[in-house]
Amino acid sequence: MDPSEVEFLAEKETVKIIPNFSLDKIYLIGGDLGPFNPGLPVDVPLWLALNLKQRQKCRIIPPEWMDVEKLEEMRELERKEEAFTPVPSPFYMELTKLLLNHASDNIPKADEIRTLVKDVWDTRIAKLRLSADSFISQQEAHAKLDNLTLMEINTIREFLLDSLNCMYKLRSNLQPGSSKGQYVDF
Amino acid sequence: MSDVLSDAGSDSNHDDSQEDVMTPAELIAKLEEAWLNEKFSPELLENKSEVVECVMEQLTHMEANLQRVKKGDAKASVHRMEIDRIRFVLSSYLRSRLQKIEKFFPHVLEREKSRGEGEPSLLSPEEFAFAKEYLANTETYLKAVALKRMPPNLQTVDMLKAVPEPCLDSFVFLRVKERQENILVEPETDDQREYVVDLEEGSQHLMRYRTIAPLVSSGAVQLI
Repeated sequence: MDPSEVEFLAEKETVKIIPNFSLDKIYLIGGDLGPFNPGLPVDVPLWLALNLKQRQKCRIIPPEWMDVEKLEEMRELERKEEAFTPVPSPFYMELTKLLLNHASDNIPKADEIRTLVKDVWDTRIAKLRLSADSFISQQEAHAKLDNLTLMEINTIREFLLDSLNCMYKLRSNLQPGSSKGQYVDF
Repeated sequence: MSDVLSDAGSDSNHDDSQEDVMTPAELIAKLEEAWLNEKFSPELLENKSEVVECVMEQLTHMEANLQRVKKGDAKASVHRMEIDRIRFVLSSYLRSRLQKIEKFFPHVLEREKSRGEGEPSLLSPEEFAFAKEYLANTETYLKAVALKRMPPNLQTVDMLKAVPEPCLDSFVFLRVKERQENILVEPETDDQREYVVDLEEGSQHLMRYRTIAPLVSSGAVQLI
């Protein structure tokens, strides 16, 4: 899956915005939005929030967890624990990236947040690499991956799955008379 | 002009009443599930032409409404953006199905042929026509380019053997939507033993597609 497609899914998450225009309720196929009144916060999907922001029609309120103190706690916990800790949003990385790139003026301490989230991400990816390594060296057939986000899975997906397929092919070719050797991965 | 758009929402709620009662939002969620499942499963899944048709209907309905709106209307641009997003998922879904059909056409057609009376069809009528034509074209092409210059005893190719089968043993990532008990995990090597796992709701796993293929089609797990 392309990272941009994961980002596409992340854009469905709702964020709070404060519009500076007024508009009636909008009846979208995916649900109703609004009404929009200047100065009153309203929930919208991220794709709309970013669009309005680019047209300077709103201010985005960052999600609660996007806060230096909370992220520092999260970073410490992530470094301490051996397993993956629960993340505040299944799309924390994408949300951070999108919001900081397009609405950094609405987010206090944007640079610190960027570094903190990157730290959390790096710690998690390092864990992920370690567990992928032991998964392969112990030739496991099942792994539980709770608390991993889609973007994290996606960074390792192609490499891990292709390697597993290759190893499977090599192994099944070792057993004489097995017909499985002709399988080709999709 | 805003009345036109307000109508659009309330009308579309009645549109799919001939199916089980499903709101347009649920319909879109279904489409996205089907999209991700199809993207990540190694084999072609059952077609979801009902969902595709309903979504198409919603889109055409909304687009027809937008035709009547003046240019520069703030609401219209939001509606257009939403339509574009849905259309993207829809085309990506259909495209990934076509790619699999091109890749596995003899096996897909074979499964379609051996399908029993009551079983749901793997392919939509359009996809079936596409697969048949693809098979015919490939055969004609091979014949024209190489086969007819071969010695007579080598002039046939068995497509089922020539085209690799989907590898059902590949690993997939999945999220559990309905709790499952006693899923058998087959061992990787001969000196390991098989064991069972319970899949808790909401948990995520990495395992072989073959083990959980029935759960994907029943909707109990979602590939991610």
